[in-house]
Amino acid sequence: MSAPNIEFVVADAVIAGIAARAAAAVPGVSRLEPGVRGLVARLARTGMRLWTGRDAAPSDGVRVMRDDDTLNIHVDLVISAGCRAGEVGVTVQREVSRVVAEQTGVGVDAVTVVILDIEPEQSR
Amino acid sequence: MAVNSTTDRDYLLPCGRDLEQVWRRLDAVEAGLADEHEASCAHCAAARESLRALRTATRELIEDPEAPPPDLFGRIMVAVRAEVRRGRTLDLPTPHPGSVQISEESVAVVLRYAADTVPGVRARGCRVRVAESGPDGERVIAVEMSVAVRMGGSGVAELIPVVRDRVRTAAAARVGLRLGRLDLTVADIYDAGEEAR
Repeated sequence: MSAPNIEFVVADAVIAGIAARAAAAVPGVSRLEPGVRGLVARLARTGMRLWTGRDAAPSDGVRVMRDDDTLNIHVDLVISAGCRAGEVGVTVQREVSRVVAEQTGVGVDAVTVVILDIEPEQSR
Repeated sequence: MAVNSTTDRDYLLPCGRDLEQVWRRLDAVEAGLADEHEASCAHCAAARESLRALRTATRELIEDPEAPPPDLFGRIMVAVRAEVRRGRTLDLPTPHPGSVQISEESVAVVLRYAADTVPGVRARGCRVRVAESGPDGERVIAVEMSVAVRMGGSGVAELIPVVRDRVRTAAAARVGLRLGRLDLTVADIYDAGEEAR
């Protein structure tokens, strides 16, 4: 039985949080890179936490952009040395759209992955 | 400074108002001077609520007598460095919608490391640019690299093909780019005694 006229809206912040987790879970991804914009967002989030006592899901390095009817996700990341950069990038694209679609039901039109740095493998 | 609504769509609310306008009118609306749109629009109301929370939180941060976290400076520098890298990227091939890009600098690190593995060669500078697309849409890169070679070691003529080989392999295996042109400059020589490292 389907309820009529119910519209679900998934907030961009939720999509960004899910996308960030999906991207970070891909083998070879060392971390997401927040950049200046992410740093500002993080400070704002710290402020929010002080104020509301709630913690927003981290989504550093991920931007969700809507343009007309398309949903684009942009991921900035750092990969570890010892893996093939092109393959990691393609896997992140695939995983982000798969996991976002799976968990929210929202279709992702395009995923842009920017590899900003390659880190030496940690010996830990 | 006007906010350009075509490039800064991030700051445009779904109702068409831009966030800065909401910010400027924040006090006026609180004082009961809301215009017709502001009084009824749910998007504006939600934005106002977030902005008020942000304002309160930042005030608390400013009034916080404690010094900023010690790693703040480092975090800012990392962020700025990432911003610089973002400016120069190479496209990698992908079958999915969207794109995969890699910063020229990270490619340079990989290639420099590859050249370094050749005995008797130390890589110095490395610059990477995209040259052209190959026959099957493959990206071909052009690389300028300067190296130092060991004094009394193998001749430069023997070393160069080895370096070229390692760099080409690394570009393909580690990154997924095809090496087109490699300009090698022997910029320096070093003493074999320094090799102990």
